[in-house]
Formats: sequence, C-alpha cells, structure tokens
Amino acid sequence: MTRPKIPVDLILSKLAEDADKVQARAQKASDILLGQLNTEIATTPCEIVYEEDRVKLKHYKPVLPPEELLGTPLLVVYALINRETMLDLQPGRSVVQRLLQNGIDLYMMDWGYPTRKDRYLTIDDHVNGYMDNVVDFIRRTQNLSKINLMGICMGGTFCVMYSALHPEKIKNLITTVTPTNFDTDQGLLHIWMKDIDVDRMVDTFGNMPGDLMNFGFLLLNPARLMIDKYVGFLENMDKKDFVENFIRMEKWIFDSPDVPGETFRQFVKDCYGENLLIQNKMVVGGQKVDLQKITMPVLNFYGKYDHLVPPGACELLTSKVGSKDKEDVCLDTGHIGIYVSSKSQREFAPKIVRWLNERE
Amino acid sequence: MKSATEFWGAMAKMWIDPGETATGAKKVEKTRVQESMESTLKMWKMVSSALSEPGAVDSLLEGVNALPEILVKMAKTGWDRYFQLQQEWAQTMGRIGQRTEAYQFENLDQEAFQIWTEIYQEEFRRFLNIPQLGLTRFYQEKMARFADKYNLLQVAMAEFMYLIYLPMEKSFKVLQENLEDPAKEGKMPENSQEYYRMWLKILEGHYMTLFKSPEYTQTLGKTLDSIEAFVVAKQEFFQDAFQTFPVPTNKDMDDLYKELYHLKKRVRELEKKTSQT
Repeated sequence: MTRPKIPVDLILSKLAEDADKVQARAQKASDILLGQLNTEIATTPCEIVYEEDRVKLKHYKPVLPPEELLGTPLLVVYALINRETMLDLQPGRSVVQRLLQNGIDLYMMDWGYPTRKDRYLTIDDHVNGYMDNVVDFIRRTQNLSKINLMGICMGGTFCVMYSALHPEKIKNLITTVTPTNFDTDQGLLHIWMKDIDVDRMVDTFGNMPGDLMNFGFLLLNPARLMIDKYVGFLENMDKKDFVENFIRMEKWIFDSPDVPGETFRQFVKDCYGENLLIQNKMVVGGQKVDLQKITMPVLNFYGKYDHLVPPGACELLTSKVGSKDKEDVCLDTGHIGIYVSSKSQREFAPKIVRWLNERE
Repeated sequence: MKSATEFWGAMAKMWIDPGETATGAKKVEKTRVQESMESTLKMWKMVSSALSEPGAVDSLLEGVNALPEILVKMAKTGWDRYFQLQQEWAQTMGRIGQRTEAYQFENLDQEAFQIWTEIYQEEFRRFLNIPQLGLTRFYQEKMARFADKYNLLQVAMAEFMYLIYLPMEKSFKVLQENLEDPAKEGKMPENSQEYYRMWLKILEGHYMTLFKSPEYTQTLGKTLDSIEAFVVAKQEFFQDAFQTFPVPTNKDMDDLYKELYHLKKRVRELEKKTSQT
C-alpha cells in the first residue's frame, strides 16, 4: 500500500497528542489565573517632588551611596502617548532600575491623564511651561546650572525643542526612538498621518482619545498584535512568570491617556504635515526652534525594526544639530524592544551610563 | 335606509329638544353637547338623503369596488421600487470581493459600498430630511441628523471591516496555493504549528500590502470622517436633552476651560515677570 501524499494520519495523531497537552495546560492555567498573581508595574520606590496641574515629577530613591552617584541628575521625559511605566515594567526588566544601579540620580516626568480641561494646552505649554518649570525645579533643588535630559519618542521631540530653546540649562541630551524627520514613508504612521483631517478630529473629540490611538497602533500589525500575541499567551499560560509578565505588558499597552487636543493638532500639522522641526522652521511659544542651537553632546538611539518611528525619522537629527559631540546608536530591535527586550536591557542602559560618565 | 334615517332622526330630536316636545313650555337654552349633536344629525340627514336618491348607492358601491384596484396600484408602485432596490443590493453584494487578487488591493470593488451609500442617500435619507415644522423643529432636525449620521457610520464601518477582513480571506487562499506543491511531492508538514506559522506570515504580508495602499488610507479617512460626524450629531442631540437637567453641557464647560486656560497663562506670565523684577 502506497503512503498518501498528505500525511493525514500523522497530522491527526499529532493533533490528538496536542489536544492532550492543551487539556493539561488549561488545567494548570486555570490554577495560575485563579491564584495569586503579581502583576504590579512601576514598583521602584520614588517620591513625587513637584506637581503642577496634572503633571508630576518623580524622583527615584538612589540605590547607591551619594558619593557613587553621577553628579548631574538625569530627567527622563516620556511621550504624551501611553505612560512612563514602560521604563519600569518588572524587576529585572526595568530601565529605571538599571540606571539607578549604575549611579544615575533619576527624575521622571509623569504627564498624568489629561482631561477635557487640558484640551487647549499647546506644545508651548508642555515645553516652555511644564518642562521648563520641572528643569528649573531640579536645578534649584540640586543647586546646578545644567542637568542631563533624556526623551522618549514624542517626549524626545519635546526634549529636542527644549534643548534648542533653553540650551543653557541642558548639559547632555539623549534622544531615544525620537521622531524629528517626518518626511519619510518608512512607517505606516507617517503615511496615515498625512491623510487625516486633524482639525476636524480635534474639534470633534477635544482631546485625542487614547483608545482610538491604541486601536490605530494595533492596526499597524493586526496579525502579530491581535492574533499571534494571544496565541502565544494561550500556548504559555501554564507558566506563571510568563502570565505575570504578559499581563504587566497588557496593563501598560492599554493604559493610554488622551492627548491634549491643541498639542495633537500642532504636532500633526507642524511635524507630520509640514515637517517643520528638522528644517528649523517650527515655532513654539513665538520662538523659532533652531536645531543649530543644540550645542551640548547628543546621543541618539533608534530601533532598526521600529515600525512606529522608523530609522528614517530619527537618524537625520545628529546631522542637523549644532553639537560637535554626537552619536547615533541603532539597535537591532523595535520601538518598545529598546526598553524591554532582554538583549537591549544589556546594551541600552549601560551605554547611557557610560556615555554620561564620560561627559561628567 | 330612508326609514332608518327617519327613525333615528326623530329619536335624536326628542333627546336634543325634550322640553318643547313633552311639556310645550318655553324653549330652554341648548347645551354645547346638544348643539354638536344637532349639527351631526343634520349632516347625517343630508348624507342619507343624498344616498336615498336613485342610483346613489350604485355609484358608491362602484367606488368601493374600485378601491382595492387603487390600493393594488399604489402598492405595486412601491413594491416595484423595493424589488428594484433589492436587485441592486443583491448585485452589489455579489460584486463585493469578486475582483480581488492575492497581495493586490488596487482593484478593490469600492464602488459596491459607494452604491450602497447612494441607495441609502437617495432612498432613505430623504425621509430624514423632510423639513420639520413647528416649535420643536430644531430638536426634530437634530434627532433626524443623529439617525442619519448613525446610518452613514454603519455603512462606513461595514466598508472598513470588509477591508480589514480581506487579508484573512486572501491569506487562506494563498496558504492553500502554497501547499499545493508540497502536497504533490508528499512533503506536507506534519505539525499543525507549521501551518499556523505559514498562514501568519502570509497574513502579515497581506496586511502590510493593504495598509500601504491608497484604497486603505482613503477608507480609513472616510471611516474617521463618519465617526466624527456621528460624534458631533450625537453631542448636538444629547446637548438638548441635557439642557433640561441642572448639568452643564460640553460646550458650556469648553467655554469655561478656555477662559480658565487663558487666565492661568496670564497669571503665570505675571508671576514670572514679578519674580524677575
């Protein structure tokens, strides 16, 4: 008897075997899911040292003695999209903890949750208002003329604007997955943003709803983000560590504050629409943002496989700033992987610490 | 008919004018009910006299007989249009997805949804656009607009969901094609995971192609427009409803927030100026 070309018998026996495994897995998973899970995020101890409206400034408790700390504190500015908790997702996978363990005196901007009341806040209010007040607060309390500044994604773009407008207050600038050149067709976001009617959107919603943006991000890769991710969860839900980390990630991803309407309008129009920033034509608070005024050392990180802020959107910055001391670092990872992947954990934070130490 | 009219006429007259008939006393003033009854009676007498004329009943019966015919004609016109619409819809639905090929999103039959929208706009929307009259016309208009935008949102969402589902459909087809050769050679994977991974890769490729296509960008833009139009109509409608409650509307609050924003900004500027001097 000849063997059939499609091994139906083998496939069926494999399926039967898998069914047994699935049943055992489901039993174990139900014990895990019904049991006690530790899914807390952002657990590194910190103190709120400054508050203004919805904005808070976190100061992390140093883990090293004062004499081992770097003299200049580092202020991290996250994007207005999603939350800064991503930098402190879980013990052992926390950029915050890595920086603290390496002697960085760390401050973090928490933008909070904008409400309808915040819809009129512009980029100027964020950059020349909140950010400037926070920088001044740190300079005042630490008795320093300059501090180190690190920006993440849209927060990085704000840091670039801030450093160009207030170069006298910034010692070193670190940008990570920061879009500054918006005239690129590499990322889907850049393609889609050019076609949206931002005026109508902001006039309708007031603030840009976080859930709507999250839905847009999921649509960037539905096969991976809406199917494969959960198939992976089903396959590993009998492992407690996996389940806890997965839920932590879910907590972070879907924790999406709305973006203040006028800020979103200006960001889409001036950056995605007109690409003004990289051309030194952007105006914030009545002042032109001139990248040549960024004369402090600049370290620019981006992800080779970033589909949200592709390399093309990041790599032009260093050629446009006035600094002589500047460096691009392209990591073999994606937008979030830079901060959470195990490989990047070994490269990203240590590189920042080394670079800052060399310029202390 | 004539004798019945005479009998009921006499009975009604007795009830309307009992004083004069029974006692012969002076006529008393009639009540409103009596007056109304008298007027109805006169009308009835007039109609029944007309009907008593020779040939009147035949003519009436002829008219009654013709009524079903008129109704059938009216219904027929309506049904003809309805069936025509149904045919158009059936053709439209049939065309959806007919011309799509793997990894190709340029030749999508977007027209199908356009026809669907047109049918709604031409046949149904008109009813919602009937001019409203009277004191509450503005509120009725807003309600009609709310319903209209909701319907348009449904159409836009259907089109968007169709586009989003399309890569799924195509990926299964491509997977089947990709498995044809290994099947012929007897090299089919034994592990079901292998099939899943193959399918996922194909699906991802299809989505990437779709998302870069102008058809998708346009549809996304159209869907967002519909959502925004619906949200605005909904807000207008509920704003009216909320006005009856002691709560501020979104517009009230937005005006207040704007004022507050400008005031805070001025205070901060003044604070900075005073601290510098």
